[in-house]
Amino acid sequence: MSSIQEDDDLVFRKICSLIEPLNDKGAKLTRDTDLIADLEIDSVAVLDVVMDIEDNYDISIPVNTISEMKTIGELVDAIHAIKKEQS
Amino acid sequence: MSLFDKFQNTATLYNSLLEETGRDPFGVSMDEMKGPTRAMVKGKEIVLAGTNNYLGLTYDDAAIAAAKEALEQSGTGTTGSRFANGTYAGHRQLEEDLAAFLGYKHCMVFSTGYQANLGAIAALAQPPHDVILIDADCHACIYDGCQLSGAETIRFRHNDPTSLDKRLSRLGDDVKGKLVCFEGMYSMFGDVAPVKELVEVAHKHGAYALLDEAHSFGVFGDHGRGVCERDGVLDDVDFYTGTFSKSLASIGGFVASNHPELEFLRFSSRPYMFTASPSPANIAAASAALARLKADDSMRTALWDNAKRVHAAFTQLGFDLAAPMSPVIAVKLSGREEAFMAWNFLMEHGVYVNLAIPPGTPNATSILRLSVSAAHTNEDLDAIINAYTALSELLSEKAAHA
Repeated sequence: MSSIQEDDDLVFRKICSLIEPLNDKGAKLTRDTDLIADLEIDSVAVLDVVMDIEDNYDISIPVNTISEMKTIGELVDAIHAIKKEQS
Repeated sequence: MSLFDKFQNTATLYNSLLEETGRDPFGVSMDEMKGPTRAMVKGKEIVLAGTNNYLGLTYDDAAIAAAKEALEQSGTGTTGSRFANGTYAGHRQLEEDLAAFLGYKHCMVFSTGYQANLGAIAALAQPPHDVILIDADCHACIYDGCQLSGAETIRFRHNDPTSLDKRLSRLGDDVKGKLVCFEGMYSMFGDVAPVKELVEVAHKHGAYALLDEAHSFGVFGDHGRGVCERDGVLDDVDFYTGTFSKSLASIGGFVASNHPELEFLRFSSRPYMFTASPSPANIAAASAALARLKADDSMRTALWDNAKRVHAAFTQLGFDLAAPMSPVIAVKLSGREEAFMAWNFLMEHGVYVNLAIPPGTPNATSILRLSVSAAHTNEDLDAIINAYTALSELLSEKAAHA
């Protein structure tokens, strides 16, 4: 259990580090932060952040999945699910 | 909550930019056309440098004569789809001519280039077992084709065969069909794909390659057959898509292939079946333009000569250009506001180009997209280069004051 939480935290921090350059408003990043509504990142920029995540974790995240993800937490959960599936 | 709330952010941005300049870059009306490279806008003659009229054939005598004849002979519209009453002899003939020109066995004509990609992708790839891989910078119609298909869609890094290779390697064993989509020349930056390498990677993994040559048909290759001709892999492309609304100076689109199964799309591709076919005059104009393209290399030579001249001038002016020399010459600007201002400045100096801002552009870049035409005269090019020279002086002045 603790290892999952640790991994969860690592993935969360990795995503935050990739999003931070786009966080023009300096908003606090939490699991509940909505990428488009709270950070006003455009849809193409979200896809590009996901591309960095894909290469970082050596996984593929389908565009179909990305369009369903709104928050950082949902992104973290999706990465865990895909890592498990593709490993 | 209303249906319209979602437009609010974009509307606010749009209106604030509009207020600054008093012109709407996305709502320009060409009040009166004066030829392939000139139009009247609000009482002023403007040089058109933001079109897709690469070969300059929109006023070609042969194309106009053919369109007139078709109009008289076959009427103003077909009033039906290709699937029903909308296939005339001209539609079939153009399919044969395109297939013969490109050296493929099969070709299907659609009502627009957008629908050709939409229709091909949506029919070829189906969930849950097919996967589509697309270049990250693909045109909206390729993205929309993926959405209409519903199949799992994975983006690979723009013009990066290694990135495609990695993503194809990761696919699970349960994947059946794999379709890889990319373009010859990309419309916004004018950058050209490593078509040979991408086709090789796709085939190495048993995937099919769909290449959109919308902006490169008539422009690249010794005979104008596109980037795949230039790269010597024309025969290796599985699905070649294109449009009539650029080099062929009409409207419509096509998909060509050596796979006999392409014919199945005639009764499985919704964007082919459920829309009216191109009008006889559009088909006749495209056919005549194709004949001109086949018979006369001088238009392509003129296009590239013009591109070289403008590219060299802009390089000398110190503009930040988005790609190496091609008929699309995109100048990068620092952001939306500067791009808006620069676009307006060029209009005031009698030159129309395309303003492109995020999210319509890659990497959140704001650009002025200029496209060169074979029909641009030296006078047109002088006007373009003079306007950009004045713009470059203005930008340097602003930078000095900042």
